[in-house]
Amino acid sequence: MLRLIVEKEIKEILSSTKFAITFAVCSLLLLLTFYVGARNYQFSQKRYEAAVRENLRQLDGMTDWNQVNNFRIFLPPKPLASLVSGISNDIGRTTDVRGGSDNSAYDSFFGNDPVYAVFRFLDLDFVFQVLLSLFAILFAFDAVTGEKERGTLRLNFSNPLPRKTFILGKLLGFMAGFIVPLIIPLLLGCFLMQFMGIAFSGAEQLRLLLIMVTGILYLSVFLLLAIFFSTKNTQSSTAFLYSVGVWVLAVMIFPRLSVAASEMFVTVPPLEQINAKKARLSAQLWEEDRVAMTNFKNTPTTDMQAIMKEFGSFMDTQAQNRENKMQDLNNRLFEERDNMQGIQQTTAFTLGSLSPSTSFSLAAAQLAGTSLALETHFRDAMKAYKNVFNEFFYEKTGRRMSGGMRIQISTGDDEKKKPINPAEMPVFVYNEPQLAEMLPGVLIKIAVLIAMGALLFGAAYYSFTKYDLR
Amino acid sequence: MEQTNNILLEAVNLTKKYEDGVTALDAVSFTVRAGEIYSMLGGNGAGKTTTINLFLNLIEPSAGEARINGIVTHKEPLKAKKHVAFVSENVMLYNNFTALQNLDYFARLGGRTGLTKEDYYEALVKVGLQDEAHSRKLKTFSKGMRQKCGIAIAIVKNAGAIILDEPTSGLDPQAGYEFSKLLEGLKEEGKAILMSTHDIFRAKEIATTIGIMNKGKLLMQRPGSELIGENLEALYLQYMAGYQQAG
Repeated sequence: MLRLIVEKEIKEILSSTKFAITFAVCSLLLLLTFYVGARNYQFSQKRYEAAVRENLRQLDGMTDWNQVNNFRIFLPPKPLASLVSGISNDIGRTTDVRGGSDNSAYDSFFGNDPVYAVFRFLDLDFVFQVLLSLFAILFAFDAVTGEKERGTLRLNFSNPLPRKTFILGKLLGFMAGFIVPLIIPLLLGCFLMQFMGIAFSGAEQLRLLLIMVTGILYLSVFLLLAIFFSTKNTQSSTAFLYSVGVWVLAVMIFPRLSVAASEMFVTVPPLEQINAKKARLSAQLWEEDRVAMTNFKNTPTTDMQAIMKEFGSFMDTQAQNRENKMQDLNNRLFEERDNMQGIQQTTAFTLGSLSPSTSFSLAAAQLAGTSLALETHFRDAMKAYKNVFNEFFYEKTGRRMSGGMRIQISTGDDEKKKPINPAEMPVFVYNEPQLAEMLPGVLIKIAVLIAMGALLFGAAYYSFTKYDLR
Repeated sequence: MEQTNNILLEAVNLTKKYEDGVTALDAVSFTVRAGEIYSMLGGNGAGKTTTINLFLNLIEPSAGEARINGIVTHKEPLKAKKHVAFVSENVMLYNNFTALQNLDYFARLGGRTGLTKEDYYEALVKVGLQDEAHSRKLKTFSKGMRQKCGIAIAIVKNAGAIILDEPTSGLDPQAGYEFSKLLEGLKEEGKAILMSTHDIFRAKEIATTIGIMNKGKLLMQRPGSELIGENLEALYLQYMAGYQQAG
C-alpha cells in the first residue's frame, strides 16, 4: 500500500500545474546559474591570463634582476568558485612580490566592478539557499491540508489505509517528486559547462557532486518543514505562513544574528589599529636607520667600488634588521587578530549551523574552496611564494628584496648584458586544500542537515498520527 | 465478530462529545441491513456528518459503537473499512487524474487489486459516464459527472455497505434523478446504504428507512413505506418544532 501511495503522490505531483511551474522555474534558474558561472569563469580566466602575460612582459628587456621590483602574483580563478562564489569575489586576487611584511592582496572582483557587488552573481549557493528552498515550501505547504481542503483525505481514509502508510507515502512521494526532477537540470548544467569548454578535474567533479548532494539535503529540510506544518494545520494558508515564517528566520535572520552575537562575545582588533601600530614602528625604525646612516663610516680606502660594496652591505644589514622587527610585530599582531577572528568565526558558525541555510552555505563554500579559508590559504601561499622568490632574488642579486635604498653604479655597458630569463623565476601555483582536509568539517554540516531532515520527517510522521481527518 | 443477520451498518448508542463540551451526537442507534437505504434527514449541525465520520473512524466515539458488518469501527478500523465504500458531498477526487486513474487508485486502496481496465470501464458505464469522459481529467468534470465517478469508485470497491454524505447536494434535477436511480440499483444488488441528506423529496422517494435528526439526537426513524402519502416536509418541521419546544 505504501508503494501505491508513493506512486499516487508522484503521479499527482508530475501532472500538476504547480510542478510544471516549479520545475520550469527551478530548471531555468539552475541552467542560468551554470551558464552565468561558466561565463564568469571564462571571463575571469581571460583576465587572469592577461594579467599574468602583462606581468611577465614588464620583465622584457631587463638585464638585471635588481630591476625587478614590481612583480605580482595572482589568485587563479577556479571553475567551482564560479558556481559557489563564497568570498572569492570579495577578496583581493593580486599581491605584489616585494620585501616587507605586507601580505595584503588587492584587485578584488567586486572592488574592480562594484556594479556586480550591488547585484551579486547568481550562484548555486544563492539559488539553493534562497530560491529553491522557497520553492520547496511552495511545493509542499499544502501536502496534507490540500487533501483535506479538497476532500480527498476523507475519501482516502474511508478505505483501510493506515495513517502511517499515508504520511510515509506522502513524505517519500514529495521528496521524490521534488528532488528527482531537480537532478535533471543539475546534470544538464554540468553538461552545459563542459559544452562551454570548462573542464572539471576528477576532484572537482567529486566536490561538485557533494555540493549538489548537500543542496538536495538542504532542500529536503524545507520540503519536510512545509509538510510538517501541513500536518499541524487544517488550512493551507496557515501552513504556508508558518513555513515561510520559519524560512525567513532560518535563511534571513538567524545567520545574521549569529554573526552579530559572535561580534558581541568576541572582539577582533581592527585592521586600522594593526596598521597604525605597524606605521608607528616603521617610522621609528626609519628614524633609527637615518641616524645609523648618518653615522656610517666606511673603512678608509680610495676604492670607490669597495666603499659602495661596504655601504650596500651595511644597508642590507639595516634593512634585514628592520624587516625582522617589522615581521615580528606583524606576526604578533596578526596572530592575535587571527586567533580572535578564529574564535569569532567559530562562534558565528557554530551558532549559525543551527540554521540549515548556514550549514549548507558553509559546506558548499568549503567544497568549492571559496569559504573564509580561501583568504588564509591565499595569504599562506603568497607568503610561501615570497620566501621562495626572495631566495631566488638573493641568489640572482646577492641581496634581499627588502634591501631598501641601494646605490647602483652603471658602467654604461648595459647593452652588452644578456636579458634576464623570466622562465627562471619560481612559478606561483595556488593549490586548493585537499578534499580530505575539508571533509570532516563538511561532513559535520551534512550530518546537521540530515539530522534536521530526520527530525522534521519524524515530527511530520508523528503529527499526522494525531491529525484531524474530517 | 462479523455480522451474519445481514445488518451491515449499525449505530449503538453512538455518542460524540467534544472537548469544548459540545455534544455533537447523543446516543444514536439505528441499523441498516443489506438491500436497505437509510436516509438521515436534518439541518446543519444535526449530527449527520458526525455519524458518518464515526462510521469511517475519522473521529473516535465518546460512547457507544459504530459497527460495519459487525466490526466495531474504532476498535478495528482497518478491518471495518474493507466493508464500506464512501461517497462524499461534492465528490472531490484527484483533479489531475483521469476518471480511470482515480478509479484505479481508489480500487487498489480499497483492496481490489487485479482489476482490469475493462472492469473500470464497466463501472463507469454502469453509472452512466460517457465513454469520452473516461480518460478525461477530473478537473474538466461537472458536479454530476464527479458524483457518478464517486459512485463508480464505490461500485468497484464492491463493499457491502455504502455511506453517502449529502450526495445530491447541488445536483441539477436530471443529475439528481439519475443519482437516485443508481442508488436504487445498488439497493437492489443488496447493498446497505446510509445516506445523509437535506433533500426530503429524494429521501422519501428512495429510502427504506428515514431518520430525522436534530442537535445530535435521532428524533424519529420510520420505514419509508409508512410515510407513503404523508407530507414528510410537514412531518420534519413538526418534529423540529416539537424538539425545540421540548428543548
